[in-house]
Amino acid sequence: MSYRKIDIDVYDEDVLQESELYEPDPRDPAQVLSDAKQKQAAVRSSLAKGDIPGALDIALDSAPYGPDVDEAKNLTLQTVVSILNSTKSSEIPAVVKALSQDSQDTLMKYIYKGMGMPGWGDVSGSVLLGWHEKLTEVAGTGCIVRVMTDRRTV
Amino acid sequence: MAAPEVFSIAQTPVTCHAFNADRSQLAVSLNDNDVQIYARQGNQWKVTETLAEHDKVITSIDWAPNSNRIVTASQDRNAYVWQQTLDPITGQMAWKPTLVLLRINRAATFVRWSPNEDKFAVASGARAIAICSFDSENNWWVARQLKKPIRSTVLSVDWHPNNVLLAAGSADMKARVFSAYIKDVDKRPTPTVWGEKLPFNTICGEYSSPAGGWVHTVGFSPSGDVLAYASHDSSISIVYPGGPAIYTIKINSLPYVTLTWTSENALVAAGHDCQPIVYSGSEGGWAAVGTLDDTSSGTAKAGSGARAGSIGRLNSAAFNTFRNADTRGQTQDESGQTELLTVHQNTITSVRPYDVGADGNVARVSTTGVDGKLVIWDVGAVSASGLAGRLGGMKI
Repeated sequence: MSYRKIDIDVYDEDVLQESELYEPDPRDPAQVLSDAKQKQAAVRSSLAKGDIPGALDIALDSAPYGPDVDEAKNLTLQTVVSILNSTKSSEIPAVVKALSQDSQDTLMKYIYKGMGMPGWGDVSGSVLLGWHEKLTEVAGTGCIVRVMTDRRTV
Repeated sequence: MAAPEVFSIAQTPVTCHAFNADRSQLAVSLNDNDVQIYARQGNQWKVTETLAEHDKVITSIDWAPNSNRIVTASQDRNAYVWQQTLDPITGQMAWKPTLVLLRINRAATFVRWSPNEDKFAVASGARAIAICSFDSENNWWVARQLKKPIRSTVLSVDWHPNNVLLAAGSADMKARVFSAYIKDVDKRPTPTVWGEKLPFNTICGEYSSPAGGWVHTVGFSPSGDVLAYASHDSSISIVYPGGPAIYTIKINSLPYVTLTWTSENALVAAGHDCQPIVYSGSEGGWAAVGTLDDTSSGTAKAGSGARAGSIGRLNSAAFNTFRNADTRGQTQDESGQTELLTVHQNTITSVRPYDVGADGNVARVSTTGVDGKLVIWDVGAVSASGLAGRLGGMKI
């Protein structure tokens, strides 16, 4: 028997739970989903007007995280990626600079999530890499470190 | 604007360092089981003694300036207090260890003497901090443990100047302020901004890191009224408990792992970005002032200009080599150079005050790093250029 595969945490009465590592989202999962749907609609109308910064602000505000909100997470990812896809590459630096630091961190989370989706590399890989480059130039390696440490995964 | 003094003291990483009171001697752990005592001889540091007793890597060392005692903490779950005593056989002074019963079942990670040098605090991976004081009746060091509500490894501690309060940074993403009041040692402390009644293990403050990073380092300001902590989410936070206000600065580069206050309004933080950064502020707000590592004035490394991008370790010669190869098809000009554009060539593991100026503020700080270097920096020699001119007009 491979001792390395024994889950020793089950013998620890005082084990550190995943849920203790971050503040839970105060919203109800159903509420989070309806918020995500509303934001998707708002983003569509902003995109129709060509307002990329406005659309990103809406999409990145109070992003869903934590357990039980997978549908809202996927919806928000699609919303964000739809914005990224409809931005001209020459506009990216200005858009990224206009974002608040919190929004930059959240955008970086979605870029990494998008890169991690199976099969997305062929479809939006170059777009995501382009945004990643511009965002790193503005927000630095610190932004990437924050995405890696943050347990509030989107 | 004195240039920093740079000493290459080892080929191995320096885990931690501590100077004696007059800065003529230095105790370091070279990431192994022994403490090396260096003595300064002119412009060099020479090993004079090796303190061997621990049987796992030494994680932290502190040297009490007045009582001239060294305390060491190690992954072997022990701490030793070392005292210089006259060896009757050789007739010379030698460091003699005394074992401290910590009663922890994980590695000891960090140790610091209290300001009065009658107690010390040992942080550990056992979700506890051992507060050790000397029991003169039994002639040994006894430990009482701060446990609640620590949920993970404690990575650093710092004493409040009143000898009672203790700040701790932990891998459960929290910085906390505890009371480490020991009845037989301490007088009743006068009320501070952190609280009035302070029995042992009172929690006077609990603060989260902004984006879920381990809190690597904590530090009280010289008055003890302000707390700073830096965490692995590349952020540094300054807490005014009376305010109450917390100023959080998210930085562009890699996280800090160590910090020290230099005055009531300034501190130096350093870590994976390999350069010490000065922060300054007051109750009204805090901001980065500049780096002590002003490479633009250096001779050999000048002219690269890559630092202006301020994205931390991406600015190494190695990175530039690859970038030039990628964007311009150049492979010749900088090939072979893998040197970073900073004085320290790897993570800075520890920054500590070195000497105090006439105004009572820390005038110089010392750093050691994974590159085996010891560097002594003039705190006044701040350069804003490394910060992409964010605070261009600011003068110190």
